[in-house]
Amino acid sequence: MDDRYLRALIRPDRVHRDFYTSPELFELEMERIFGRAWLFVGHDSQVPNPGDFVSVTVARQPLLVTRHADGSVHVLMNRCAHRGAQVCTEPYGNATQLRCPYHGWTYGLDGARLGVPYRKRYADEFLATEAIRLEPIPRMAMHRGFIFGSFTAAGPSLDACFGPMKGHLDDMVDRAPDGEIEIGRPFRYRFNANWKIQLENQNDMYHPMFTHESTTDERGTQFRRQGAEEDQAGKVQLLGAKAGLNPAWEQLQLGGYPFGHTFSGAFPTDRGAEGPVQARYKALLEQRYSAERVTDLLALGRHNSIFYPHFTLQYLTTHIRVMNPIAVDCTEDVIYPIRLRGAPEEMWHATIRSNNNSHSPSGLVMTDDMEVWSRCQSGLKAKTGEWVHFARGMGEEVRIADDTYRATGTTEVCAREQQRAWLRYMLEPDLGTVIA
Amino acid sequence: MTIGTGRSAGLELHFEVEQFLFAEGRLLDERRFEEWEALFAADGYYWVPAAHDQESPYSGLSLFYDDREMMRTRVRRLGHTNIHVQKPPTRTCHAYTNVSVEPVREGTDEYLVESRLIVLEYRHDEPQHLYGGRCRHHLRRIDGGFEIAWKRVDLLNCDGIFTALAVPF
Repeated sequence: MDDRYLRALIRPDRVHRDFYTSPELFELEMERIFGRAWLFVGHDSQVPNPGDFVSVTVARQPLLVTRHADGSVHVLMNRCAHRGAQVCTEPYGNATQLRCPYHGWTYGLDGARLGVPYRKRYADEFLATEAIRLEPIPRMAMHRGFIFGSFTAAGPSLDACFGPMKGHLDDMVDRAPDGEIEIGRPFRYRFNANWKIQLENQNDMYHPMFTHESTTDERGTQFRRQGAEEDQAGKVQLLGAKAGLNPAWEQLQLGGYPFGHTFSGAFPTDRGAEGPVQARYKALLEQRYSAERVTDLLALGRHNSIFYPHFTLQYLTTHIRVMNPIAVDCTEDVIYPIRLRGAPEEMWHATIRSNNNSHSPSGLVMTDDMEVWSRCQSGLKAKTGEWVHFARGMGEEVRIADDTYRATGTTEVCAREQQRAWLRYMLEPDLGTVIA
Repeated sequence: MTIGTGRSAGLELHFEVEQFLFAEGRLLDERRFEEWEALFAADGYYWVPAAHDQESPYSGLSLFYDDREMMRTRVRRLGHTNIHVQKPPTRTCHAYTNVSVEPVREGTDEYLVESRLIVLEYRHDEPQHLYGGRCRHHLRRIDGGFEIAWKRVDLLNCDGIFTALAVPF
């Protein structure tokens, strides 16, 4: 797996099938991409009180997110310093200390050593010099309650890595009249496809009218996904007149930033979110922000923000989608609904229903996505046909800087740019040199 | 205190309710989804929580939480010629067991039915899945049988790691 091999996998308009099917390449990705990138770990709303903890698996590693007695949030490896046992297996809970079930070694919620039972058989030097604690994740950063972690001690800071995408987190949190969000307990499901197949689908505007055909009526209008108002507001319009492509799809805004992040504008819907609930919501926002800011917030037309390689912020269904690789041909999604604190209760109910309907394991939208992704994985077992094509909309994007661009509609530029970012992660021994 | 005598419902009602459940399961297994949906009252709903002992459909996410409108949308999609996740279709086997029936209130024609539901699912070349857990139906007597005010299925693995689901439990 030398540099020449890696470079040969990525061409300007296509990638080699090994990109999705090679187990050796997958392990190298786990080291060079998931081992170094900034990953989503959780949100501080999951651990509101001292002693709270949640156990999560991130990129196959067991972590604990905790709230220490002094109010600080910690991200710890969920692994006893002694023989490596996973200390906590409950998904969430509250404790004054964390005790390993095997030999009773005990730690604080900050990972500090509290007790090694019957310590006389250990040499004093061992107890004095060994780092007996729950190791903190090498790097951790927080923004507006979002908790991010990196498994490497060196590399670009969160700010340098996310760049303008950091503002996308604010775009979500600022929608809360109280200026804070909380996340609810998630869905979890797996499908048989490589992690990049989903990533390359997230800003693919070419697929909805075909993959999601079963969600539409004769006029190409999708079912109502969410509605805080009593009547049927905001159905996504996939098709135009005479079942052709709705021309609004080709105007849909797309863009991307260094490190492979991409984002897309709002889907064309048959009407906006007007109504009495929206009016109350607007009034609540105006208690916090100026009228101009409220106008900007409500006018923000965004569908999703993809933080390469690990998670998506989705504004239509109001959730965080975490995409954990499991194996070369298996990915696990964890979908957290987002509650905007201070917003009308009808909006939270609409978020719950919208997530239930489109992004649950039985979701009317997500299940057809998982089906086509799995078919890509099984189809790619065919060895003849080495190349996977991403030629749509070649060169039509507007370059603002080397890794910053804007585009519209059913182009495949977002996937191409993610592939370029992939190559940089895989080739750069020191991620500090990735930024141009 | 004596429990489990089944005396509150009586043999005949118990038999009728059981036959109704078996028929409901058969409709799903035969993929007669429109007829299944028609069993529900106009204000009826179908609920499969995503959390153990979930208090309400709005206390968090659910694997299914369908009112009649959502049920209709789901059923329409299941009948669509191009529903990719059902090509080939899932085959199911619904087995109701451990049924007990209680009147909701003395003297009414409404019943709370407690049962255990086991569902086997198979889709071509995929591993066969077994799902199951506690099932509750709130039934109202109508001409010719019952309508479902609500059906709630509490799967053992409700907060586990799933694969794609298509057919209601």
